[in-house]
Amino acid sequence: MSDSVIAHTLPNGMLVLLKEAHGAPVATSWIWYRVGSRNEASGRTGISHWVEHMLFKGTPQIPAGHLDRLVARNGGVFNGFTWIDYTAYYETLPADRIALGLQIESDRMVNALFAEEEVESERTVIISELEGYANEPETWLDEAVKDAAFTRHPYRHPVIGYRADLEAMTRADLYDHYQTFYMPNNAVLVLVGDFNADAMLRQAEAAFADLPAGPPLPQAPTAEPTPQAERRVIVRRPGPAAYVQIGYLAPDCRSPDFAPLAILDSALSGAKSLTFMGGGTQTNRSARLYPALVESGLAASAWSGVTPSRDPYLFELGATASEGVDPAAVEAALIAEVTKIQQDGIAESELARTRKQMRAQVAYSGESVTNQAMQLGMWEALDSYRRVDTLLDELASVSAEDVRRVAQTYLTSHRRTVGYFVPDESA
Amino acid sequence: MSSIEPGTTLRHVLPNGMVALIRRNPGAPTVSVRGEIRVGAAMEPVEQGGLAVFTGAALIRGAGERSFQQIVAETEGRGCSVSAGGGVQASGFAGKALSEDLPLILEVLADMLIRPTFPAVEVERLRSQFLSGLRESEQDTGYRASIAAQAMLYPASHPFSQPSGGTLDSVAAITRDDLARFHRRYHPALTSIAVVGDIDPLAVVAELERRFAGWQITDAPEAVYIPDAPPLTGIQRRDIPMPGKVQADLIWGVHGLRRAAPDYYAAMVANMILGQIGMGGRLGEQVREEQGMAYYCYSDIEADLGAGPWMAAAGVSPENVEPAIEAILEEIDLFRQDGPTDEELDDAHAYLTGSLVIGLETSDGIAGSLLGIERHGLGSDYIARYPAIIAAIDHEQVIAAAQKYLSTEVYVLAVAGPV
Repeated sequence: MSDSVIAHTLPNGMLVLLKEAHGAPVATSWIWYRVGSRNEASGRTGISHWVEHMLFKGTPQIPAGHLDRLVARNGGVFNGFTWIDYTAYYETLPADRIALGLQIESDRMVNALFAEEEVESERTVIISELEGYANEPETWLDEAVKDAAFTRHPYRHPVIGYRADLEAMTRADLYDHYQTFYMPNNAVLVLVGDFNADAMLRQAEAAFADLPAGPPLPQAPTAEPTPQAERRVIVRRPGPAAYVQIGYLAPDCRSPDFAPLAILDSALSGAKSLTFMGGGTQTNRSARLYPALVESGLAASAWSGVTPSRDPYLFELGATASEGVDPAAVEAALIAEVTKIQQDGIAESELARTRKQMRAQVAYSGESVTNQAMQLGMWEALDSYRRVDTLLDELASVSAEDVRRVAQTYLTSHRRTVGYFVPDESA
Repeated sequence: MSSIEPGTTLRHVLPNGMVALIRRNPGAPTVSVRGEIRVGAAMEPVEQGGLAVFTGAALIRGAGERSFQQIVAETEGRGCSVSAGGGVQASGFAGKALSEDLPLILEVLADMLIRPTFPAVEVERLRSQFLSGLRESEQDTGYRASIAAQAMLYPASHPFSQPSGGTLDSVAAITRDDLARFHRRYHPALTSIAVVGDIDPLAVVAELERRFAGWQITDAPEAVYIPDAPPLTGIQRRDIPMPGKVQADLIWGVHGLRRAAPDYYAAMVANMILGQIGMGGRLGEQVREEQGMAYYCYSDIEADLGAGPWMAAAGVSPENVEPAIEAILEEIDLFRQDGPTDEELDDAHAYLTGSLVIGLETSDGIAGSLLGIERHGLGSDYIARYPAIIAAIDHEQVIAAAQKYLSTEVYVLAVAGPV
């Protein structure tokens, strides 16, 4: 896919990626900023996500409440999201309207108002978003596991932020974060769709080339020290079931061990599309965890996952215990599956299956221009857009022995945080 | 290559009455299959709640010569998927594959629809997963508010009054024989299948004939029928206290209309303006953007074979429950009185027609549209006619639909949240 991408860096440092796709008369415009919860200091948790919300709250050219109607009027859809390493915005439109996406993004890269009353109104909207997540028992467990798994690195705090920080942050804090990270030299523009790439590049240049480059970005966050002992957390709250979540500190996505870890994850719970919007197919029921945990009756569901990240993040496993099953039994069954791979590796047939599944997942996610642009942008924000293709090559060259080696290296007890959610009506 | 042009849909009726809708989407590396049988939870007895959903989910658990484990090993091993599930008004099935694997998923789907085996051990595994899911749903504020609203909107005998997934008691009592019996209601004459991808339509017809022509049911087909509900009276409210929650979900609801109703498009445009367009229409604008009370506030209209609810929903802090209800009612009242502004109506027209190409971008999207067109008998030229249909909806029609269906004096209200 990346062979047909045109990559062009503007003088202000902004990278533009363009790819023609003529399957349907639609086009998508994405802008990615290398900022997320990774870049947040203590006391400012959730600031990247809040800034993302403020980018929908008006500029002098497009006042608050107008952006959504402007996109809708042109037959388009839009959204924005914030993650640990990046923040992204997109507009998908009928192809002849795609210039609107460029107009919106170049405008709000520099002109977002952050009006005081809009900041206050959005504070309660975001607290409401946080409260929605807090209704789910899985959120409490996930936050407890991340908080224990990381001691120094900002990955320990939730992307939405801590409530106390959301209550305390000011307009000045938000605007400062915006001015620091929303710069052409920290952004990637991705355009995919039914257009002529040369003409589209000229439009992108017209929209963005005059925006000034910003100062150098703040230093990367402190590395997480290698854990030396297993950590355990138990959350007791009202809830419908017991949940188990295990995280092992794993290397970042640029590591040569990332591809073997992705295969390891696939052996446990099937190959996934490595981007958010999925669109792929279910592949977990013929993998290892499903028969061991679900068909055995121990769990109602079981999962694993590896997240491509800038800094070392987690290789995770989890399950929802069946009624009456002790979470310790679920934990033991999850770890037993890891141990088997550490001892015996995986079969050649599992490797072959994973490769075919990955090819299929890539084909499915390539169906929509929105998904194609998301893959290119996500990989460029983390590493390089070429990874969309080179990762497939890396996966193809992983051996069964590589998988056993990374399981032995990273999925060790001292790199592990184990969390239980135990339903407790009295808590 | 076949003589069927890209962009045209081949509609083919098999001798057993099953309708195939086939469309070539050139260049797509994958193929999407979507289908439905117009048999659903609306046909199940109240005490057997969850039967249609259980039956649909059990189809993959063993079919033809294959066990569940063989089905998932074979399909997932090639990166394909097959799935099926029961709903209220229809049961659906789907498949997705790289083009070369289309024959496999059609073969497996045909087995699932025609020859499910319902192995006892798999039925028990599935039951256990359903029960876990229901226990989780029972502690979900949105689910609890939604089933409480439905129970107030429709009398107990009406198919929309019960959750389609059943209850812990009803799911515990369903037997393997119940599943097999309900499956016998599946009928080719009630079934449509759409296949979209870079395929040769005539070859797909031949493949479908081979796989499905042997599906013969002697009983006459009995399709889902949804009766009208008796009109609501006054305001009914139910509050559901839920320990451990920090946010309340609230749902306001009235009766909506059938998809076949003459004022369907007017009501759809009204709903778009009231609670959809942009960040949740006027409701989102007021409750989220202006008052900062909720992360989400929107309205939705379920117009299908039956007249489902027209509802508005929001997730809010406990202290904002009453102000949010007041704000929602105020917006509904205002909309009933004045209807949309010219600009709002223009925006809704532009969005509904402009976004058509986005909905039809992928094979999945096309297949879903073809099924909807078939289900509601909209005709092969529907997509071409759609912009004119929407453009014809004027201010008077929108306000008439709003006044006919929406109300601030007769409605139900369900609130589920922190104690």
